[in-house]
Amino acid sequence: MTKREFKRLFSNKIVLLDGGMGTLLQKYGMPGGVCPEKWASENPDILRKAHSGYVEAGSDIIYTFTFGANPIKLGDFGLSGETYEINKRLAVIARETARSALVAGDISSCGSLLMPFGGIEFETAVNCFKEQVRGLVAGGVDLFVIETMMDIQEARAALIAVKELCNLPVMVTMTFEGERTLMGSDPVSALVTLQSLGADAVGCNCSSGPAEMVDLIRKMKPYAKVPLIAKPNAGKPRLESGHTVFEMDADNFSSYCQILVEAGVNGIGGCCGTTPEFIRKINELRKNLKPVSVERKPYSVVCSNRKFVEIHPSLPFTVIGERLNPTGKKALKEAILNEDMDYIAEIAREQSEAGAVLLDVNAGVPGVDEKKVLPAMVEAVNNAVAAPVLLDSSDPEALEAALRIYPGRAVINSISGEKEKLEKLLPLAKKYGAMFVLLPVNDAGVPKSAEERIKIIREVYQEAKKSGFSKEDILVDGLVMTVASEQSAAIETLKVISWCSNRFRVNTTIGLSNVSFGLPAREFINTSFLMMAVSSGLSTAIMNPCNENIMQVVRASDVLLARDKNAINYIKFYSGKTKTGNENPQKKEKSLYDAIVDGDRDAARELTRQELISGKLPKDIIDTILIPAIQKVGDLYENKEYFLPQLIRGAEALESAMAVLEPEIEKDKTADPEKSGTVVIATVKGDVHDIGKNIAAMLLRNYGFNVIDLGKDVDSQVIIEAAKENNADIIALSALMTTTMGQMPRVMEMVKQEGLSCKMLVGGAVLDKNFAESFGAFYASDAYSGVKLAQQLVKK
Amino acid sequence: MREIRVMKALRPDYNKNLIYTRLGYRKNTTRLSQDERDNIDYLVELTENTLNIVAAYRIVDILNISSPYILLEDGTRLKGEKLSELLNGCHQALIMFATGGPKVIELIEKLQNEGRLSDAVVVDAAASEITDSALDVVMAHVGRNIRPLGQALTKMRFSPGYGDFDLPQQAELFRLLDAGKFGVSLNEAFMLTPEKSVFAVAGITKMKMGGTDDQKGIQKAVQQ
Repeated sequence: MTKREFKRLFSNKIVLLDGGMGTLLQKYGMPGGVCPEKWASENPDILRKAHSGYVEAGSDIIYTFTFGANPIKLGDFGLSGETYEINKRLAVIARETARSALVAGDISSCGSLLMPFGGIEFETAVNCFKEQVRGLVAGGVDLFVIETMMDIQEARAALIAVKELCNLPVMVTMTFEGERTLMGSDPVSALVTLQSLGADAVGCNCSSGPAEMVDLIRKMKPYAKVPLIAKPNAGKPRLESGHTVFEMDADNFSSYCQILVEAGVNGIGGCCGTTPEFIRKINELRKNLKPVSVERKPYSVVCSNRKFVEIHPSLPFTVIGERLNPTGKKALKEAILNEDMDYIAEIAREQSEAGAVLLDVNAGVPGVDEKKVLPAMVEAVNNAVAAPVLLDSSDPEALEAALRIYPGRAVINSISGEKEKLEKLLPLAKKYGAMFVLLPVNDAGVPKSAEERIKIIREVYQEAKKSGFSKEDILVDGLVMTVASEQSAAIETLKVISWCSNRFRVNTTIGLSNVSFGLPAREFINTSFLMMAVSSGLSTAIMNPCNENIMQVVRASDVLLARDKNAINYIKFYSGKTKTGNENPQKKEKSLYDAIVDGDRDAARELTRQELISGKLPKDIIDTILIPAIQKVGDLYENKEYFLPQLIRGAEALESAMAVLEPEIEKDKTADPEKSGTVVIATVKGDVHDIGKNIAAMLLRNYGFNVIDLGKDVDSQVIIEAAKENNADIIALSALMTTTMGQMPRVMEMVKQEGLSCKMLVGGAVLDKNFAESFGAFYASDAYSGVKLAQQLVKK
Repeated sequence: MREIRVMKALRPDYNKNLIYTRLGYRKNTTRLSQDERDNIDYLVELTENTLNIVAAYRIVDILNISSPYILLEDGTRLKGEKLSELLNGCHQALIMFATGGPKVIELIEKLQNEGRLSDAVVVDAAASEITDSALDVVMAHVGRNIRPLGQALTKMRFSPGYGDFDLPQQAELFRLLDAGKFGVSLNEAFMLTPEKSVFAVAGITKMKMGGTDDQKGIQKAVQQ
């Protein structure tokens, strides 16, 4: 079957696929624990009956029963050497049974995880699937289906395996647990990755019933350039007397047919728990259904394996992080030379947190093997952040190595009009479905005028178009030259951007900081030029996202040019800054009492200073403001109106206020508030989890206790000695585990032996009141109730 | 015994509400401003980016269950009435663990040292929840692999330290998964370092396909 014939098949009808094979064969008697494919090849009559059921029910395409017939999975049964034969035989059986239906060679997961999740290398997986593909082609399949994939990288490996061995159409369906695959891909990223890489249909199967798939299909449809397919389970499986029963019957299942089609499905079948009866019902219904056409979004879309990014002049400006380019960066050069991928990951994180949505990655350091290091950098970046990448290299081998292992849709930076580069890089972009930055340079060099650059842009686009690229697949580089050497350079770049945006209607980018090279106070030039370029229609810029001044321009211009609809991003960013105290706290006009109750540390500090300046005595501030405020926080916590972080935040605000008062109290000891009592606090021997104990210590200090904090994993003898030395009123102990709580009665025994008069207060996840009382201790269920109890104990 | 399988760089889907619940949040009662919520969401995301989750699992044959004892193929004997109940009817056990790695613990300590205990407590809760969710990924992955073989996992899993499946048995699971290889250690009180590490056991059962739909039709088809 040709790709064109495949496209025609889906052009005007809902294509009917088959239903579940594994569950059907299990019903027919395939025993548990055997190799399913081997069993089927040895029981061809039963397999034929299963296939025939679907053919008779009306399936246009049936799948070979080769779901797990790859060498890795067959290896679990000692059968990897039979991969070719098993696949060929099962394909032949399907072909003999199919009559006029088409036969799709079925490939699924190898059962082991690919790197970075597991130990299987990408090329090992590609070669594993190739062995299966060879057998299926020899068995006469008409097309391929790659199904039930949890990891987009494994789906890519299988798709590349098919594409490198034959030209048959390939359908790829991922399996989603809720809104993402198990390895974290959302439906749009999965679709964009697979259709760019050459899948002829994309969709979802297994894991869920038809209702859950409607939303997945709806999300994919506006981005789909290929038909979408859905093969749901017959609802959720449940156990009934040792039997697996799926919750939906054929009528219920097929009732979702129309809604799936309305969501955008072009092909429907069933997965686990569905039978020929289900397919028959859909066949009756599909006669009245036609594929819907949904307007496709006109955006350029790139993605990693877990995030997609849309680029368009009407959308918020796309910031591309420039800091993974070693030019002029000594530390990064060192990191690349030493292959220090932790450093690379850290820079990726910093840029991503600062607002970069794409990251430019460049391994161009003299003496570095780019073919080896660029893929390693890309892997490190992808493991660290979700942002998709631009592969910044002119080395075709390095680019291919990185494109091959990148589990999303990357951007090649860049392809120019230079003949040799065009001939080498365009096919690469095509093979791996990458977008590319079009650099308006040719063999004659860098053209100065906008007109010359536009001519090259047109020429390169015409070449790209012949290979099947559209304008959405291209970002034109406006080619920024430094104004220090040629002052009209910026104007020419702006002309190119304006033409691309308004006339040619293609997305654009610039390497922003080039414009100011060689000049002092570069930031002013960069910021001004960015504003001018954005107003000319610039879609993206390769820039430093950690420069807050430039990022402010980006956020503001998005509002002014209506790219940030209703200024939602702007308001979210800046309103948060004001309220979380990153700006001047005096603006808020809140009282010190409110600052403590709100847990606002900065305001509490500043307002305490103001109270002192106004002449209030430290003791008065504590008695009339701070204590009532922290008691209010405690009340709110007790009433569950506050939860733990808010309780602690209140305590932290109180501590910051006390830090202002303490020097004043030191000057005048009479101002020192009387301590409530002395508490020696520790996490018991063997217990290393101390965050709960630290919360209790802070709250006790808040409430006026003198707290001696001994830390975690503290020997009993050390606790006793500290209690004696400080004449403690209370020993407070924390233990998280059943294996460490036994230390508490031991400490109590030592307290008695030493004749100490102090009380013991205990707390921790596994403790209860009975345990505490069994050795004469008092039990606190949480840090705050511990403080309340401590107050009562010192009164007694 | 079957080999230990390792899963790295996991970013499990997790239920953010459960992180709030761990921190004592009560729906319709706790008052939380948008800024506070944004801050918590930021800290959860920071946790997610700091965690370096590695998980490992091993499928082990169950030789015998005589409550409360479960005898595994290598002679390991686990004990627990509830665990025996969970594994009842299972021919294999899935032994699994996940660790969030040391960096998130360093982050929690750093926040505490900076006087940001309120932030540390959020990161602590998020790290626990997300690491635990990695075991959901392990179970989903194994479940998907064994389904074509006519096998299924129990819905529940048990971790040492809960009920009568006591903490010292963590040492048995530690040994079965050779967890020391992954930078995890167990102290004399059977506590794990890094702290955000968790072991669990689930069962694997052989399934028979049932169904109420067209059972008769299928039987007829096979007979033809």
